[in-house]
Amino acid sequence: MLNDMLTYLLSLRGAIALGTIWGIMALGVFITYRILDIPDLTVDGSFATGGAVCAMVIISGGNFWVGILLGIIAGFICGLITGLLHTLLDIPPILAGILTQLSLWSINLKIMENSSNQPISARTFPLIFSQLKIPDALWKISLIALILVFGFYVFFGTELGASIRATGNNPRMAKAQGINTKFNIVIALMISNGLVALSGALLAQYQGFADISMGRGAIVIGLCAVVIGMALVKKITPNFLVRMLSVIIGSVIYHLVFQTVVFLGLDTTYLKMLSAIVVALFLGVPYVNKKYLAPYFKHKKKKLVVEEVKND
Amino acid sequence: MKKSKLLLSIIPFFVAPALIGCQNANVKVIGICQLVTHPALDAATNGFMQAVKEGMGEKNVRFDLQDAAGEPGNCIIIANSFVSKNVDLIMANATPALQAVANSTTTIPVLGTSITEYGVALSIPNFNGVVGGNISGTSDLAPLDGQAEMIKELFPEAQKVGLLFCSAEANSLYQVNTVEALLQDEGIVTKRIAFADSNELQSVLVANVNDLDVLYIPTDNTAANNTSIIDAVCRPIGLPIVAGEENIAKACGVASLSIDYFRLGIKTGQMAVEVLKEGKDIATMPIAYDENPVKKFNKEICDELGIVIPSNYVEIE
Repeated sequence: MLNDMLTYLLSLRGAIALGTIWGIMALGVFITYRILDIPDLTVDGSFATGGAVCAMVIISGGNFWVGILLGIIAGFICGLITGLLHTLLDIPPILAGILTQLSLWSINLKIMENSSNQPISARTFPLIFSQLKIPDALWKISLIALILVFGFYVFFGTELGASIRATGNNPRMAKAQGINTKFNIVIALMISNGLVALSGALLAQYQGFADISMGRGAIVIGLCAVVIGMALVKKITPNFLVRMLSVIIGSVIYHLVFQTVVFLGLDTTYLKMLSAIVVALFLGVPYVNKKYLAPYFKHKKKKLVVEEVKND
Repeated sequence: MKKSKLLLSIIPFFVAPALIGCQNANVKVIGICQLVTHPALDAATNGFMQAVKEGMGEKNVRFDLQDAAGEPGNCIIIANSFVSKNVDLIMANATPALQAVANSTTTIPVLGTSITEYGVALSIPNFNGVVGGNISGTSDLAPLDGQAEMIKELFPEAQKVGLLFCSAEANSLYQVNTVEALLQDEGIVTKRIAFADSNELQSVLVANVNDLDVLYIPTDNTAANNTSIIDAVCRPIGLPIVAGEENIAKACGVASLSIDYFRLGIKTGQMAVEVLKEGKDIATMPIAYDENPVKKFNKEICDELGIVIPSNYVEIE
């Protein structure tokens, strides 16, 4: 009994490492979905692009840092394409993201030399980390995540960062203040997809391969993490640093649940549905509370709740 | 949702596993990570479990069967679960499953199946048939030389053979390259017919099949999913198709020579018994193949095209 408990806790270490890797992707989703207020679907493609570029660099004998760096740059380009489709051609952002994602399928295949799968086994190549040594992976990925969160906290306090936030909050007002909103949208999309590609590059090394379909459903995992993270800190503090951290914690929680489901041997076919239900619940419950339940139960609290939802 | 409520809702996830996982120490636990539910992979898993049960005794073994639902990323989570539980052996069904497991443990014995090339799947330079370390398994490499011979055997007068494949599938390209070389050695003229996706298939086919004597299709997933299009073009002009996979032959082909995934699974299971029961060192075990691929034919199409099939062929059910 105690033994099983320990085994279970042991398996959670891997989930935390994996959750933090995906948390970096979720941070990218957070930037577009929460800060910029644009649902960007490029991520499903750019995640695999990051992994593919990194894997190919490592396979051809390059250092894994070079692979990660080139992966991030590839992510920037993905975001740039979506951004230009949206700003130059006035294609709605969702559609622009879908178009880029679609074309990335072919591009990723070409990057991986027409193969749907490229192995980078930790047994053959020196990698930043892999699931073979979980404690090692754990501190490295935590460090990377903390540096990123702190870096972005500083960045979003600069003039450019603040104007990106303004663009997301109220584009008309931002324009009236002389902010080039189109430029900001492109920049934010690039940063976001750079983060997503970084996450893909790290995951490819952690799991030991890049696969054409590794980004499938990434946007749902990202949204899951953002929504869970926001629900966690909503009532605690509006602090921006904490909110970004909570996105990563949201991703970790998502993976803890995932790992538990797998550990228990439940039918993994339902996992996708489970994620969708979690997102729908976290998104829908506050509204249901506010709209239908609050008036009946706590008449006085009604106003408060409405305000909080607006603040969010 | 309040923080306290959220915390409360997480607690069951920590307690439940402890209540469920009671195990007997004498029972060997085998973790099976399968990439996706798919007739071929399912057959391999079933064959594996059957062979292990027969070899070890049904009571002495317990299977932890996990399906990654078609997402390579899930394999790493499943692998982590198996490694934490410290199972006695892991069976990885399909390439990403093996890659994930290989990147998760160097101590637990791992057997792969439904993997074409271990050297490619695990990035081993100069692969010599033995993976070494804690990994071995079975390969589903199609008997390509046998397929080329089959074309010669069934159609000795064929002058020009078309090779149909989807350009997005690296695996198909490999098969086409090999078969093409084998046919050219026999003095047969070959013609590659590549298509990018199912939308293109019909027009590409119509433009290319008229001067062919035989059409060869490798184990190509896109072709396998569009056999009705291929059939609609080829059968009316009487063009026979030899396929690398039984399902393609069943839908639009004349005959096929393919490996049997169930038998491949049984072979993998026997290897597992050797490791667990007989204590054989997995590091020295070479990759095993299905040595007796079965020649099968499609009776309906053979009758229609008037092709006489030798008696050692089995009819596709």
